[in-house]
Amino acid sequence: MPSLGANTIAILIALGSFPVSLALTRFFMYWNSAHGITGIDVHKLNRPKVPEMVGVAVPITLILFAAIYAMIGGVSSLPLLAYSLVVGAAALVGGIDDRLKLRGIFKPLSTLLCGSPLLILGAVFPGQIYTSTLHVPLFGGYHLPVIYPLTVLVAVSVTSNTVNMLDPLNGSMAGGISIVAGGLLIGSLLIGAGSTPIFLYASLMFSLLGFLYYNRFPARAFAGNVGQLSIGASIGALAILGRTEIASIVAIFPNIQNSFFFLSRIRRFTEHRELTSKPTKLLPDGRIADSEDPRAPLTLVRTLIIGRPASENEIVSTIWTLFLTSASLAMITLLLTGVVL
Amino acid sequence: MNKRAVGYELVVFVTQWGLMLLGFGILTKFVAPLSLLNRSLSLGLYFDAAIKGLVALVLSVAWLFIWDRQVRLYFHRRAK
Repeated sequence: MPSLGANTIAILIALGSFPVSLALTRFFMYWNSAHGITGIDVHKLNRPKVPEMVGVAVPITLILFAAIYAMIGGVSSLPLLAYSLVVGAAALVGGIDDRLKLRGIFKPLSTLLCGSPLLILGAVFPGQIYTSTLHVPLFGGYHLPVIYPLTVLVAVSVTSNTVNMLDPLNGSMAGGISIVAGGLLIGSLLIGAGSTPIFLYASLMFSLLGFLYYNRFPARAFAGNVGQLSIGASIGALAILGRTEIASIVAIFPNIQNSFFFLSRIRRFTEHRELTSKPTKLLPDGRIADSEDPRAPLTLVRTLIIGRPASENEIVSTIWTLFLTSASLAMITLLLTGVVL
Repeated sequence: MNKRAVGYELVVFVTQWGLMLLGFGILTKFVAPLSLLNRSLSLGLYFDAAIKGLVALVLSVAWLFIWDRQVRLYFHRRAK
């Protein structure tokens, strides 16, 4: 039975990240707007200008609260340091891409390096960041002394980029990933995980909810690559630190489907802005419809509106429902991890 | 909310989830315990890991292929 006291303290400290993220989001909305850092909301008829890169509020909150928890939580600060470095590095990569608009291949390659703090600290302090044994639901586990450290780098790159690719509509990423974090938080509580991953999942969920308040339809803030990549990297780092590798893959099924169908059609890493064939189009009544362009990728949003145009709000609700489904499967996966046939 | 789309996706997700657990089960029970190369050889451990990694990669590609077929079956033909 896990120590209820330690987990309760962890969640109570993490709860503080909601108002902090909310305040930071509001601050960056005004600051970025005043400095001309804006983007156009292309899924609205009046194409409003919305402050961009406001998602930077989330990694700042995550790192700030990881430091607070390291100081007052009475836990080892090493995993929190590794987590903060990964999130910070991914935010830096996203920030550079937001400002300089680099080529599509830049993000997957540079985010490969973002997982290196986990790898290096894991090698220097064996057993404190990760162990090379993968626990498989229903089948026990196996030791992967060579492959596991390599997958640490790939995991952070994949999660950060796949989260980055599924944020086309207001609140789709922030709402979806907060559901993922919530599902993995509940699963971790049920299996009696350590208080550090419980704190980090709770802090991610509450930070995202703070940002979602302004990012939900109609959005007054956009996350930008800085927010999307760091939030994705956070999921990847937590999969390693919290020993929730397989459950995390299940939780981000909607992201995986979206990325896979995008890459299988386009066959290269590219930015959405560089696509000549768009998967969706805006109808005169404000609804979003399938573009019917055979060269356009079959993204998750396009999948949901084939033959049935829908409002932005309706599509986002459907995406959140899909995340609820995948998060529920992830919870079951976590519960099955301790069961061996 | 598009209930039909959610229903289709639910089928896809549950199928892929089941296949994923099965795939990891195959890796755990059959592939991982194999001694494909003598580990006492120079780089034997790494070649052994590489071959097993390759098996995992093939299983992943098969998993994604099944995912692709399902989505095309449920969604893409509706566009035609």
